Amino acid sequence: MVAPARAPLRTDRLRAVNAPKPVALELDTSGDLSVSNGGKIEAILETWRIDDEWWRQPIARAYMEVMLEGGKRLVLFQDLSTGEWFSQMP
Amino acid sequence: MTRFRDIFGSHFDSEMSQRPTSVLAACVWIPLFPLRCEEGRHEGLAGYPIALLAPDTTRKLWQVSPLARHAGVKPGMTVSQAIGLCPTLRLIEPDPVHYDERFARLLAALTEVSPVVEPAELGLVYLGCDGLEGMYGSHRNIIEALKRTLECWNVGMSEAGSTVQHSNIPTFRVGFALGKFTAWVAASRSKPGEAIIVQTEDAGNFLASQSIAVLPLDPDTHRRLRQLGIRTLGALAALPEEAIAAQFGSVGRRLWLLAAGRITEPVVGRVSPEPIVAALTFFTPVGERELLSHSLDQLIARALRHPRRIGWRVHALRLRADLDSSGSWLATILLKDPSADAARIAAPLKVRLEQSPPTGAVERLVLEFTAFAPGTSELQLFARDAQAAARAGQQRALQSAAREIRMRIKRSSLYHIIEVQPWSRLPERRYALIDYEP
Repeated sequence: MVAPARAPLRTDRLRAVNAPKPVALELDTSGDLSVSNGGKIEAILETWRIDDEWWRQPIARAYMEVMLEGGKRLVLFQDLSTGEWFSQMP
Repeated sequence: MTRFRDIFGSHFDSEMSQRPTSVLAACVWIPLFPLRCEEGRHEGLAGYPIALLAPDTTRKLWQVSPLARHAGVKPGMTVSQAIGLCPTLRLIEPDPVHYDERFARLLAALTEVSPVVEPAELGLVYLGCDGLEGMYGSHRNIIEALKRTLECWNVGMSEAGSTVQHSNIPTFRVGFALGKFTAWVAASRSKPGEAIIVQTEDAGNFLASQSIAVLPLDPDTHRRLRQLGIRTLGALAALPEEAIAAQFGSVGRRLWLLAAGRITEPVVGRVSPEPIVAALTFFTPVGERELLSHSLDQLIARALRHPRRIGWRVHALRLRADLDSSGSWLATILLKDPSADAARIAAPLKVRLEQSPPTGAVERLVLEFTAFAPGTSELQLFARDAQAAARAGQQRALQSAAREIRMRIKRSSLYHIIEVQPWSRLPERRYALIDYEP
């Protein structure tokens, strides 16, 4: 860890950065997929998978970078152990 | 009366635009501040008529307590005249350094209420209150917070000196209004420990009933106005502005504008630079002026060598002396032309040492450079620490801003981003936020 120059590091004062935010994915009747509060997904640009910490609480995530309506890019992942969807900065 | 020229004068320096300002003003007035400081630290003064000797000449009186005034003693009287009128009068040597320190503590305490603090003179301070409603609520709540701070400072004042009971009696008066002048008038009309809030829509009526003595008048103008039968601000404001300007010139126009409530002067927050200090303690108290002058040269040379000074010219300085008689001596100099030349810095201080020397032998001499101006471009170019000085200034500004944010929203909302596990495949594990305390 790199401590800031002027303040001693106190782990009780740490706040998470880039924590996953829960999102809901909806499939409408015409077959379009959309993200809650995000808009319709136009294209899936890339997918990858992370499996980690198998030695304690296994983490398995299926990531995808999508392009939304209007050109905005978003990274989503599904927690494969619970099936829930999240958005997160890459 | 002359002090008002400094307080409400139309002089605004070029730095004003860079300083925080506030139109809504609270005025804190502690009448006879130096005398109150002495009462706070000397036991047994309660109930006696007391007078403070003038700092420049000990033969005349500077400030007198209400009891002494009741006996006929007035500021400016000679000691012999005063004793003749009031044989029980207690005379006190002035200690300007002590008053300066007490006032600095007061300013520091008030900074906790508002970040915009403008000292006018010893015992008179303006606080900018724009936006404080977001923190405290109503104007009444702002005043209550201010009074709590002043009461704590008042108690602390007595603790600093001795166990004097009477100093717990509130000595401050508070006025709250739009603009400094109306706030000052309100403070001057309030009772000790209380506040007068003048709502903006009532300011005209409030000012109209006040005596012209609250204006920044010289004695001659005051006399002429009274001879013309003008005794209240309302009477003055009722006259045509041009007629007043024709009689009294630009000063008269300004007085008319103040009386009519047409000027709303903002509180201008101060910029407090970090002083460069050099001090010398003598093994035996020194009274010879030549030795003091030589010591002053040494202190100036030492302060000029300070890394933070290089590349900057000195604009304001202060020389203080602790005397063996437990008193003190203080000289504050503002150089008209900022300089980095030791002789030019020393000259006004040596004149002051000649004209009004310390009243006792000096135990400790302290020189402070309190304000600076940038050097010439050549000086800046060769200044090793000019950048460091600039960074130090930025750091102070950052500290001030962080303190203000903490005051306003009651928690720190500035953070550092630190690396936690930058190698992690999980994005949320790579970085974290931690409170930023500059």
